[in-house]
This record gives sequence, structure tokens and C-alpha cells, in this order.
Amino acid sequence: MAAGFCAAVALWLVLDPSLARLLLEWLPYLARGFAMNILISVLAMALGTLAGVALGAMELSQMRLVRAPAVAYVQVFRNAPHLVLIFATTYIFPFEIVALGHYIPFPDWVKAVIGLAIPASAHTAEITRGALQSIPTPQWDAAKGLGFSRIEALRFIILPQCLRRALPPWMNLTASICMGTALASLVGVHELLHAATDASTAVSRTDFTVLTYVTVLFAFFLFCYPVSRLTQRLERRLAR
Amino acid sequence: MQDAVRGFIALAAQVGLNFDFLTSPFELRMWLDGMTTTLVLVALTIPLSLVCGVGLAAALTSNRPWLAGPARAYVELTRNTPTLVQLMFTVLVVNMLISQALGGAQNNPLGAYFWLVAVISLHVAALHAEALRGGIEAVPAATVEAARGLGFSRLEVLRVVELPLAVRTALPAIVNNLVNLVKLTTIGYAVAVNEITYASLMIWTQRDNVVELMIVLLLFFSAINLAVARFGAAVERRLAVPGYGQ
Repeated sequence: MAAGFCAAVALWLVLDPSLARLLLEWLPYLARGFAMNILISVLAMALGTLAGVALGAMELSQMRLVRAPAVAYVQVFRNAPHLVLIFATTYIFPFEIVALGHYIPFPDWVKAVIGLAIPASAHTAEITRGALQSIPTPQWDAAKGLGFSRIEALRFIILPQCLRRALPPWMNLTASICMGTALASLVGVHELLHAATDASTAVSRTDFTVLTYVTVLFAFFLFCYPVSRLTQRLERRLAR
Repeated sequence: MQDAVRGFIALAAQVGLNFDFLTSPFELRMWLDGMTTTLVLVALTIPLSLVCGVGLAAALTSNRPWLAGPARAYVELTRNTPTLVQLMFTVLVVNMLISQALGGAQNNPLGAYFWLVAVISLHVAALHAEALRGGIEAVPAATVEAARGLGFSRLEVLRVVELPLAVRTALPAIVNNLVNLVKLTTIGYAVAVNEITYASLMIWTQRDNVVELMIVLLLFFSAINLAVARFGAAVERRLAVPGYGQ
């Protein structure tokens, strides 16, 4: 199916060389846009995962003062639309920060990273909590019996086991955040969808517009499909 | 009512939140319209996505390659590309081609709203279909064979035996998809459908009260999603098969 589709696009380009030339001309521009998508998703996932693991551990804390804020954070930001969070960070954060008399610019793409890191952290927290709770309680007791503190038990005994169980849902989340980067185009970040709109406006040829948006769909598909296939494989292996 | 609104505005002002726009009939109307539009979108797309999802799941699990193949390709394409890109693709490309075929945009009865509903429903339908497929495949082969032995056709087995069981196993995933659907309605902003995000943006560009509206937006979506999750849990309890997971 995919092969047939690629063949059809290739045939189309061969039949119309001027279109192929145009695409070749604009491809670097589109690629630069897509690099932004990749940059945003990698940074958002890194940030979101770090914060999410901490929040997930906090959700299981025995101290109410630690637990309650984490639970509230996860509840609110797991239910919030990604677009709303991107708007929130874009419009609430200043466009530059003054630190020690220096003006540090705070570009829109960094705000988009934070906007996507927030839901990523909330989802990672839930994944972490689920994985932590899937470890039988006697293991905690055994760790305690061996003289491990709670933090040490978490670090050396529980977390390594959680990693295996948390990996497939975490990869699903990664795919979802990668696709979320397209939303950044709506706050003016220059990513792939934005670049495609620029290109199709600049050329203003119907067939080129069609081809550009097909390219955009294809780029995202190439980015996300391998991840989702790998996730399925891992899930199947864990289910056995 | 007027007094209550004024009281609320005064109270919010004390903690530094600016809700003055509630006194402007024009902005208030637009804002409430936005909320209604979002709720209508949710109410339209949930049943549509479920119906299309069942159809897709039936195609996915059918023995006919000409039916299962395209359904599989559609599901993979939909799940692995951003909904926003799909929406832009349909509005800017598909809709344009339709307009050209009909001889101008003035003859094209399909608008942004139509494509928004279609894209969201069909996108979430693909997610439902995957969940249901898992459920259908989890039905014990012996059960299916017994039904076939009783003289049920392939379609009857699906309708009477497989789907009712599949729905029960797939319910948590389906509710998850519906929560996703509610969040997806915000992309209507991109094609200027006046849903709540769009309406809020129109107001905060005028009044610079982003934080205030953001709080309302987060509460609004939390409330809808809480309702969806509660409803899902109630359906789950009602459909629970005795002896499984209790």
C-alpha cells in the first residue's frame, strides 16, 4: 500500500519534471522545518520524562504534603488539550528574561517545548505510578529487611524493573508528543507545517500545494510509524 | 444573575484576576458560543467516532484481504500522523480540489466545520478500531466456533458474539480515546471554528487576560473529561461480565 503510494508520487514527478524541480528546490526549506519538530519533541520528551518520573514517585509518597500537589498537577495537565498548554506557555511567559542586566531572549520554540513537556510530564507520571504499583509489595519489604532506605530501594530494586513495563506506554507517549509538535505552527513556530504553508503560498500552484502537504503527511508518518511498530513488538514480547 | 456576575468579577479582582469581559455582552456571547460549540462538537464526534470505529474494526478483522488491507493502511496512516496536519490537508487540499471540481468555492457546500467533525471522528475511529480489534481477537476461538456451529454467519457472529465481548475488554481504551477526542476539538482553532480556545484567544488579545481565561479553559476541559471518564466507568460497571476482574 505504502509502496504503491510512493510509486504513484514518483510517477507523478517523472511525468511533470517542473514539479519535481520545484519540490527539490523547496525540500531543504521543508527539512529545516522538520528539524525543528524533531528538536522540540526530543527536548520536550527529555524534560517531560525527568519531571514525570519525579512526579510519579511523588504520587506514591506516604507524605500527604508531597502526594497531594503531584496528584493535582497530573489530574489537571493530563486532561488539558496540548494546544491550550502551548497557548498558555506562549502567551504567559515573557518574550525575554532579564537576568543580571542581560536580556536573554525566550523564543517561541522554547515555549512550545515547555508547553509539550507539561502534558508529557503528567502522562509520564501516570506511567511511572502504574509501573511502580505493578511491583509486588513484598519486594519493598524485602528491601527494607536488607537495610535499604525507601529511596535506595526505589533506585536499586524497583525502578530497574519498572523500566521494562513502562517502556511501551512511554513510547506511545513519545509518538503522541512528536505529533503534537505540529501544533507549534499555530503559535508561529517555524516548523514543518508552517514551512509547508509558506512553500505552497509562495509557489501557489495547485499541484505543488497537494504535493507539499502529501510530503508533510509522509514525513510525520516516517517519523512515527517505526516507533509505533517497535512499541507493538515490545508489547507483544511483554505480554508473553 | 447580573449581581452574581458583578460579585464574581469583584471577588476575582481582589486576587488579581481580570474577568471584566463578562460585563461586555458581545464578548460574553462569543465566549458562551465557544463553549456551546465545543460541547456540540464533542456531542457530535463521540457517536460518529464510535460508529465508524465499529465499522473499521469489522473491516480490520474480516477475512477478506480487499477489506482488511485498506482498513489496516487507513488505521496506520491515521494513527501515525498529527490530526492537525490531517485537518490542514483536508481543508487546504481536499476541500480545494472539491471546490475546483465544482467550479469555485461558492458551489462547495462543505466548510471548515464539516472537515473538523469528519477529521476528528475518523481519527478517533481509527483508535477505537484498534482497541476493538484487540478485544475481538481476545474472544476465545471455541466461542466463535460454537457460534458458527449453531449456524451464525460471519457477520452475525461479529454482531452477536464478538462485538459485545470486545466492547467490554476495549472499554478502558475507548474511554481513553474519548478523552483524547475532547482534547482534539481544540484544533478547530486552526480552521477558525469558533470553539472555546478560539473564542478565548479573541478575548485575551483584546484584554490581555491570558491567565484568567487559561484557568477557565483548564477547568472547562477537566470538567468535560471528568464527565466522560465517569460515564465510561459507569458503563464499564454496567457491562461488567461476572467473574472477570472483580
